[in-house]
Amino acid sequence: MKFKDYYETLGVARTATVDEIKKAYRKLAHQYHPDVTKDPAGEEKFKEIGEAYATLKDKEKRAAYDELGRHPSGQEFKPPPNWAGSQGGQEYSFEDVDFADLFAGFSKGRQHSQQRHNMPIPGQDYELTTQITLEDAYQGITVDLSFTVPEHDHQGQLKRVPHTFKARIPKGVTNGQKMLLRGKGGKGFHGGPDGNLYLNISFIPHKLFRVVEHDLFIDLPLTPWEAALGATVKVPTLAGEVNLKVPAGTSSGQKLRISKRGMPKFNQEHGDLYAVTQIVVPTSLTDKDRELLQALASSSTFNPRAHFE
Amino acid sequence: MQIDQTELIWLDEHHEVSLDELIELSGLSQQELNHLVEIGALAPNNPTEEDLAASELRFNSHCIVSIRTLARLKSDFELEQNALGLTLVFLERIRNLELQLRGLESTK
Repeated sequence: MKFKDYYETLGVARTATVDEIKKAYRKLAHQYHPDVTKDPAGEEKFKEIGEAYATLKDKEKRAAYDELGRHPSGQEFKPPPNWAGSQGGQEYSFEDVDFADLFAGFSKGRQHSQQRHNMPIPGQDYELTTQITLEDAYQGITVDLSFTVPEHDHQGQLKRVPHTFKARIPKGVTNGQKMLLRGKGGKGFHGGPDGNLYLNISFIPHKLFRVVEHDLFIDLPLTPWEAALGATVKVPTLAGEVNLKVPAGTSSGQKLRISKRGMPKFNQEHGDLYAVTQIVVPTSLTDKDRELLQALASSSTFNPRAHFE
Repeated sequence: MQIDQTELIWLDEHHEVSLDELIELSGLSQQELNHLVEIGALAPNNPTEEDLAASELRFNSHCIVSIRTLARLKSDFELEQNALGLTLVFLERIRNLELQLRGLESTK
């Protein structure tokens, strides 16, 4: 495992008091807490900060940490053979665990030594984000979920164990939907319940459709003459093309509703599809086009800026 | 291993959880959750006196997300009980504003 310098993480001296450690933690927490900051790196950074604080604020954990000596952060590291035994009465293989597991294990070892070994400890909750396409959300999909959790094996040794299973995401989910899979988090200890898994559903951006809850939006480019004269145009939906009647006199930015062609809802209903009109002009004109447009310009009395006057 | 849909709970406005489930899932105590209900920061779907007395209140399951965030903030920033209600109101306001913003960005 790689050594972590918890004092460096919190930016405090190794001789810092508990109050100084708490103050440094609070300052960093305001800066990096994932529920406070929008910094995408904040979550990982706060994990390091929280891990450092959890160890250094606890007198016994801090003493055990200090006993490990001083090493550069990131250096390959293995605790001395009797370190865990002397601290928590529990031995670890130190294989397949990371530095955070070491102190989580130490805490449980200490609880063991305090003869609280029968006290149920609930398993840890986990949160995962899975990305699915709009088509997947429309039909429902089975996704493979995979993450690693620290667990004690039959010998009581702490190891990181892969958790892999399939979850059926039913149709009707929305972008940003959260779901709860009970008992699919970390294993509980001493009869404590297993933790839960919180699953965030995130839609991969679609090349044509934008989604708001269960409604879909699609930009519908129209020629000026289709918009002025009206037309029937083909519009793609997630269930195949439909013919949409564009009324004469349509302007840009109008939303034409195509009923029940949006995303499915959990109760079997569907949202709507909105075609947002965009009037598009040709970037190059043929001689004939130019002639016709010039004729229209000469004869038309339409003034779209009449309200300026 | 196949997970059937009975194991999967939707966290949204259309599904409910009981007060007991909320206590179990949120990390907040019954006393803290009752305080949030009393000050109006957390709105049950069936706020009758009988339900309140019998602790049979039910909530939209989406509140689990905000309440878990609140429990995290309480633990990580050592928030006092009086700050919990205010924080929950702001969390919900941010959630609604982000929802509106996402809608506006998608429809413009």
